[in-house]
Amino acid sequence: MDAKSFKLLLLGGAVRLYFSRTPLASLIGDRVEFATPLNSYKRMQEGVFLLEHDIDPYSGDLVHESPLVLKGLSWIFLNYASYLPLLYILLDLLTAGLLWIMSHWFVKHKLQEQRLERKHYANDTEELQYHNEDNYDIPELVLMAYLFNPLTIMSCIGLTSTVFSNIFLALFFFALVKGYLLPCLILLAFESVRSFYPIVLISPLLLVFARRSYWRGFCIGLLFAAACIAIMAANYLVMNSWNFLDGTLGFIFYFRDLQPNIGLFWYFFTEMFEHFRAMFLITFQLNATVLYLVPLSIKLRKEPLLLATVLVALMSVFRAYPSLGDVGFYLALMPMWKRCWKYMAHGFVVFAFFLISLSMMGALWHLWIYAGSANANFYFGATLAFCTGQIFLITDLLFAQVKRQFCLYNGQKIMIDGEEARIILE
Amino acid sequence: MKRCDMALGYLLSIFLILGAGHAQINIDSNEQFHEELVIRPLAGDHVNTYFQFTTRWHYGENESLFHTQLTPRVIAELLQQFDVKELHIGLTQGLWRYETWGYPVVETTGGAEMWAWFNGPNLTDQEVNRQWTQLANVFSGVLCASLNFVDQTNSIAPKYLLRPQFMSGGGDENQSKFIRYSSLPREIVCTENLTPWKKLLPCGSASGFASLLNSAYVHNTKFHSLGLTVRTLCEHPENCVLELTQTANLVYDLRLLEQSTGDFSLRRLFGMGLNGYCELAGSSQIYVQLNEQGQRYQLVPEPTKEIKTTRGGHTVIYGVYDMQKQFEGQGERLFNIAWVTPKGDRKQRLGGGQHQFLIPPPLNVHRYLLGQGQERGRIATELTNNHYEPLPILLQELIPWYVHAYLHTLRIRSRNLQRHEYTNSKKDLPFQVLHYAPGKQRELPTHLEIAFELPPNSAALITIEVDYLLLKWLEYPPDANHGHYIGSAILSTLLPIARNYTAIPIDGHLFEHSFNATRPSYVLSLHTEALIVSLPTPDFSMPYNVICLACTVVALAFGPIHSVATKLIIVERQSAAPKNFLKKIIFKLTKRKSNSQQQQQQTEEDKAIGGTETDIDPTDQRES
Repeated sequence: MDAKSFKLLLLGGAVRLYFSRTPLASLIGDRVEFATPLNSYKRMQEGVFLLEHDIDPYSGDLVHESPLVLKGLSWIFLNYASYLPLLYILLDLLTAGLLWIMSHWFVKHKLQEQRLERKHYANDTEELQYHNEDNYDIPELVLMAYLFNPLTIMSCIGLTSTVFSNIFLALFFFALVKGYLLPCLILLAFESVRSFYPIVLISPLLLVFARRSYWRGFCIGLLFAAACIAIMAANYLVMNSWNFLDGTLGFIFYFRDLQPNIGLFWYFFTEMFEHFRAMFLITFQLNATVLYLVPLSIKLRKEPLLLATVLVALMSVFRAYPSLGDVGFYLALMPMWKRCWKYMAHGFVVFAFFLISLSMMGALWHLWIYAGSANANFYFGATLAFCTGQIFLITDLLFAQVKRQFCLYNGQKIMIDGEEARIILE
Repeated sequence: MKRCDMALGYLLSIFLILGAGHAQINIDSNEQFHEELVIRPLAGDHVNTYFQFTTRWHYGENESLFHTQLTPRVIAELLQQFDVKELHIGLTQGLWRYETWGYPVVETTGGAEMWAWFNGPNLTDQEVNRQWTQLANVFSGVLCASLNFVDQTNSIAPKYLLRPQFMSGGGDENQSKFIRYSSLPREIVCTENLTPWKKLLPCGSASGFASLLNSAYVHNTKFHSLGLTVRTLCEHPENCVLELTQTANLVYDLRLLEQSTGDFSLRRLFGMGLNGYCELAGSSQIYVQLNEQGQRYQLVPEPTKEIKTTRGGHTVIYGVYDMQKQFEGQGERLFNIAWVTPKGDRKQRLGGGQHQFLIPPPLNVHRYLLGQGQERGRIATELTNNHYEPLPILLQELIPWYVHAYLHTLRIRSRNLQRHEYTNSKKDLPFQVLHYAPGKQRELPTHLEIAFELPPNSAALITIEVDYLLLKWLEYPPDANHGHYIGSAILSTLLPIARNYTAIPIDGHLFEHSFNATRPSYVLSLHTEALIVSLPTPDFSMPYNVICLACTVVALAFGPIHSVATKLIIVERQSAAPKNFLKKIIFKLTKRKSNSQQQQQQTEEDKAIGGTETDIDPTDQRES
């Protein structure tokens, strides 16, 4: 990392530190958009408190953090509670740094790949190819997108445990790009046992490490299962009971808490007819996990990292308890696909969707909960719009990638009978 | 500190000692019935009338449990069907004001409240749960109350607060005892509960004191509470007493009576005089408090006997009317007692002057909700200790599952009574005992019991933060915006003095047993107010719209991803597509029809430019 990146990191840290000392911090910690039942600081405190008093936190309905994390943090929570914001900020900066290194290596790999492929490229496709200056431009953009995105800043100062999810995911991406199989597997297993949805990232992992050999893929699958079981066993050893499984994974899968959040689940299952609940629950969970996994894995088998990005993004749209911190994380990965941006048509629409729905959310929440002059539909509308915006962004990225691949080999201007042709999907 | 620990230990153990010790089992005949009525004028133009009907049934060995004379059959069947040893049910409307009315003889909370002790060979937790719900269902039928709503979602097993008052006797002392407690604060107590309750009495409502309980008058009161307590006292398993106590506790507001002058009589309170006594009763006594607030009245007729009772340094004088003597050898007439203000005092009374300086009871409690909005709040319970000694306090909270309580936010702040501000966080009172069973949505309520020491002449504010949950749309009661109830907290303490204390000691069963019953300390239990929280509500009118809209957004993702994953990129003549918006639509529509034709055209074009139709990923082709 160069000096400029360090300066940016310092600045990002300073911004977080400043805001964590303002009243904004506790306000964000209580906002449903950032603090969900899974990641809220208050519930973490409750979990640590219950653990300390020898009460099984998972016998109740408040704590859904994995036992290992809970136990690991309880010492800090109990003894150095006032330094906690500092810890969260450091972790967040670490995440940013990891993302910088990860994207740096990613561009390097891309440039190497291009050198081999260059002779197949069409002539006028310079702007679609990665350049040498991207080596520093893209990591810097990634860094800035993570450090100065209000969503990640607020998620950090609100002390949500999304900060932990983000650093685990960043480490996973880093290990994926660098090709460290074992850390990759363990991180993924840990994060999957903790919050269930990252299990879909096994697909990019297989694409990277088991390119041409089914045998190898099978072995990695077995290893992954073994790692998951080992982590569950470690959790079991901490708690001495299997209650935590229902408290973490069961709680996510069965969607027991209907507290409003930015996702699609809460109002849908509030208004659901009881006899259809099981069916829609399974449908929605499939939608968030395996539905897009196979087609996208086949389509993007050459671009495992893009696959991982899209999966992380889809995950944070369709998961049961999404928070804006998750959104901030995948937005930071977008600059890696800078060379696709030319074909992304909905940039303005997506931006408008984000801006308007995010600013409406706060207002409509106030009207519903505090003023009593609106009802749940208003807030639901805002979250629906926000989800739509995110979906536009993701599908736009996919279309752009498909177009870029096509144009890279066929040229940007294709002529039919001397007339410019249109590219369409049929 | 040491002393308060000891006091606390004493509080926890006292019931055990009492339960093991003093219960008197000396019964002449097999079944006895007593009726008592206590009338106490209270401060602020209120009158408390307390009815107690006690049935004791001594059932020895080899006796059919179905053969009862005075005890209602349903109570006898309890012993056959369940392992219940002690049962309390209270149905209450209104709020008992501790500051002005003192402590009541029996404690109940608003709505319905029920708790029971189970004890028997080979009892398991599941078996107790099953029996508990069945028991609730039985009494739901017996009392016409909604006790059938008692189930696992609103029942807890109190650990410290409620102690057994039964004696199982014999060698089964080491059998584990199980307790279940539940309260239904939303329950509305009405005429339909009073009639079946009266039917449990040996004389019904035909004669005796129960004939005074007319629903039209009972339900006009400021506070009325019906109670039913069953307990068994066994010296050994073949020598037992079943004790059924039915209580009715009423508080009248004299200003609400017709032609209110401040005077009152039995006829004015109950609509009619007393028509006699229950012939089956062993005793029928009316006790009228003569001192304190009773001083301002003259009684017509004068009581036949006066009893002066001193209990814990507090003296009360009761006038006694023995109904069996009153009605001895006379023809039919109605008996009435009138409380009349002496002529000279009337002016002063109407001027609003208080006759006596009101001494507040040593401990009282209030509860309220802090915070605004439907998202989160804080439950605050405020205790005030007016006494000059520290009091050990046990507090039990039953928080329903639709409210999440955060235990780590539990704080006990204190202040001296002279000050108005509570201390800051560093001087929080520590709690000495903590029992916590976290709640689970739709399954278990949160159960919290804490014990701490309340310093003399001070108040304590116990706060805990809660989140209000959004429920499924069908889980809201019909009037969703009415709010949801949080039942009252129960608080228990040991009073060193018996000021304002009227409860019957655990080893007695009649009101007269509380006379001169001085003890080292007096177990007091108080109920706080119930709370009502307004949870966020969804819109109940549009489930279809929500399902459609959410599914649409899912489809918005599914469609494009499906086409990206399955479709091929093709190149099309720019001029083939019209620029005009309307024409574009027409073009799209017609394109489908002439699809085959176009495809043909397409292939021809492809040939012409040397195959522009490619898979999006040319590397694939190379690999293949």
